[in-house]
Amino acid sequence: MTDLATPPRLPTPRRTPIASPTPLLVVGLAIGAVFAVPAVYVAIRAFDVDRPLDDTYQEVVGPLWRTVQLGALVSVSAAAIGTLLAWATVRTDLPLRRFWRMALILPLVLPSFVGAGAFIAGLAPGGIIHDALDLVGITPPRRFRGLGASWLVLTVFTYPYVLLPVSARLVALRSNQEESARMLGFGPRQAFIRTTLPAIRPAILAGGLLVFLYTLSEFGAVQLLGYDTLTRVVFSTRRDDPSTSFAAAATLLVLAVAVVALERRLRGRSSPDGRVAGVAHRPTELGWRKVPATLTCIAVLGLGLLVPVLSLATWAGRGIQNGTVGFGELVTPALNTAVVAVLAAIITVAVVLPIAVETTRRPRVASSVAAGAVLGGFAIPGLVIALALAVIALRVTGFGWLYQTLGLLVIGYVIHFGSQALASSEQAVRAVPDRVREQAQLLEPNAWRRAATVEFPLMRPGLVAGGGLVMLATLKELPATLLLAPPGFVTLATEIWGGFGEGFYAETGAASLLLIALSTALTWLLVLRPTARR
Amino acid sequence: MTLGPKLADMIKNYSRLSTSIASVIGLVVVATACGGDDDDNSITLYSGRSDSLLQPIIDRFEDETGIDVDVKYGDSADLALLIDEEASAGRTEADVYLSQSPGAMGFIDDALAPLPQSTLDLVDSTTRDDDGRWVGLSGRQRVLVYNTDLVDPSELPTSVFDLVADARWSDQIGVAGGNGSFQDFVTAMRFTEGEDATARFLGDLAALDPVPYQNNSAIVAAIGRGEVEVGLTNHYYNFRALDEAPNDDDVASANHVFADGDPGATLIVSAAAILDGTDDADLAQQFIEYLLSNDGQTYFAEETFEYPLVPGVSPAGNVPPIEFTDVGAIDLEDLDGGLGRTREMIAAAGLES
Repeated sequence: MTDLATPPRLPTPRRTPIASPTPLLVVGLAIGAVFAVPAVYVAIRAFDVDRPLDDTYQEVVGPLWRTVQLGALVSVSAAAIGTLLAWATVRTDLPLRRFWRMALILPLVLPSFVGAGAFIAGLAPGGIIHDALDLVGITPPRRFRGLGASWLVLTVFTYPYVLLPVSARLVALRSNQEESARMLGFGPRQAFIRTTLPAIRPAILAGGLLVFLYTLSEFGAVQLLGYDTLTRVVFSTRRDDPSTSFAAAATLLVLAVAVVALERRLRGRSSPDGRVAGVAHRPTELGWRKVPATLTCIAVLGLGLLVPVLSLATWAGRGIQNGTVGFGELVTPALNTAVVAVLAAIITVAVVLPIAVETTRRPRVASSVAAGAVLGGFAIPGLVIALALAVIALRVTGFGWLYQTLGLLVIGYVIHFGSQALASSEQAVRAVPDRVREQAQLLEPNAWRRAATVEFPLMRPGLVAGGGLVMLATLKELPATLLLAPPGFVTLATEIWGGFGEGFYAETGAASLLLIALSTALTWLLVLRPTARR
Repeated sequence: MTLGPKLADMIKNYSRLSTSIASVIGLVVVATACGGDDDDNSITLYSGRSDSLLQPIIDRFEDETGIDVDVKYGDSADLALLIDEEASAGRTEADVYLSQSPGAMGFIDDALAPLPQSTLDLVDSTTRDDDGRWVGLSGRQRVLVYNTDLVDPSELPTSVFDLVADARWSDQIGVAGGNGSFQDFVTAMRFTEGEDATARFLGDLAALDPVPYQNNSAIVAAIGRGEVEVGLTNHYYNFRALDEAPNDDDVASANHVFADGDPGATLIVSAAAILDGTDDADLAQQFIEYLLSNDGQTYFAEETFEYPLVPGVSPAGNVPPIEFTDVGAIDLEDLDGGLGRTREMIAAAGLES
């Protein structure tokens, strides 16, 4: 019998229990552990010191400072250019903007050392840029090297890392806030800064982070341009002074961890992204500014793609004239390159997905650590990852069968490029609104069938975009391929390297052009065409 | 449904299907490619010399003998590291190792098997290892490449020591300090001139503000562009540039050879060795001897413009002939161990590239 005197006992507010780890989180952590393996190997070797610490410090401190300088400068400029171009091609009435949106991604198809080498050749007397600048009355510097040169070259090759996520975000973002701001009297720039910019900030930060990590591990271009970074120390000391080599690699890792943490802090809690299909934006009218805008697009694409391609075509052309170059012998390397790149892309996206799901839906420290491990893989030079994997395959019992197989090479690609799929995968997961998931749970109790019929189709564009980035990166990867590939497995990148180092520029040009054509074709076929139709 | 959308649907499904099929095929290719090719009639070669240089002569060897050669191309130093790790793990994958220079051989000395005397005797005793662990295949001579438009040949010195003593070359010398041949050149100088003279040389060179480059071909290209006036590199890059250019006049660089016996004219040999623990030592020996045969040596002379090491084979028409006794060819055995110290000296002078 209820006692009317005592008030009804309300249930005590239950503290939200700390959710027990889901199976997906465990899988994600296990995957993160695999990604961390090369980093752990580097740390172990770095502590194996056989030189006085002061000596190692002296060798490392100068390159460290230069690396940080370059990384910071390139991230900022790439972020600025990427964001500006994203806005111009998505939110304005720039003529041919659909063409520009696809074309401006293309600098990603060039291996950086090829791009830098062709760039240098173009600037030389008799080269394309030199002649073009001559027409305008400017004489380019006799030596194109050092910080300024590296900054320019790396910026025009990496801005697509920012362009891609920012354009994707701008396409999906509703412009009603910006329109309201305009109606309230803010000028277009103010409205953009106050409303749109905060909304795209996470995308800019994610892209900028990728650019910084890329600059950390980049080697070929900066070496050609004579700028001494930490990767140079890693490379030149790896045989005769391994403790310094691994100390430098460990320094790169520490830098990477610091920057990843910084980016997460700056990004803060990102706003939930309600998926809106086919948002119509009223394009900002540019008026006379169409001309400088188009010229900017032409200049950026020219520097990032056209100039290197023209130089390469000149080299290849000479070889075709002489008859020393045959495209026939490049067919097998091309096939190898394509197959292994697509394979690596598919596996990477699959592997990174659990971590992306966990960080997006149930953010907690553990999943952030796993994500950090994935991102860190991009900062370690490919050569170091390959060496770590080779040594582990040789020494650790049970993994011996992996040595010198394509499987180990693909694992190397996955670890090195997993980060490229992570941000897009996180976007993809966010593209499934919670409402939709909850309704689907009611209608279809089987989780797998639900994932296949409801969640996966919504995630597909983001997953495909991430896979596309991994594919592009793998197509042009060099140092890990040289070290881990089984004997007889040749890719276009290794062919390019072989010709370049020996002064056979015609072969370099032919193989490079074929690689660019292959990359462009694969990207269009597998990535752009399926996702453009909306 | 009208034909258009139906067709579009078919194409869409087809491209999705073909992508999936391609993935499956890819996996199958991977699976079958993974298996090691352990034929009775094949050898595995780790080559620090690129496939543009070697694949043609390897193909010819395969055609003539029917022996399959699986080649892993890479950087000499990286391959040496791999061989070292494989040997430590007791698992030698390669049968033959070809290196750009004897320096890398020194690093993996323990992993090499002594070559049969008959193979060693094919070349002069100064171009093979004294312990018989490696044999030279072709010679690469150190030269001074210069820009023909900016430099008058009469200005060029006869000794590399005179080069670094002349302030005229300040800021005009291209150097690849991290490159194997440069390090071999310095090691050779250490043994012919002594440690002190070498340290002084490196100091004088550094005082002239040389411009660092990644490798030899970058130096020659830079000289052709007029970016620097001279550079220390190997002889054959210029000949290859001449071969590639449609007209000889297009190439603005030329080789200047230092006087006979000067360290600046050191001959560096590319080396071949058989690895300890291989099951196919006789096939490996056959391969090396093919490279030292008339066919092999003529190939190096005519196609790559390097110096054949077997007496009786002449270099390519436009490559100046040398006698091995002329080029201050050092006791190459001593080149091996000294590389670490050489690197330290180069770095101490401030010359790392």
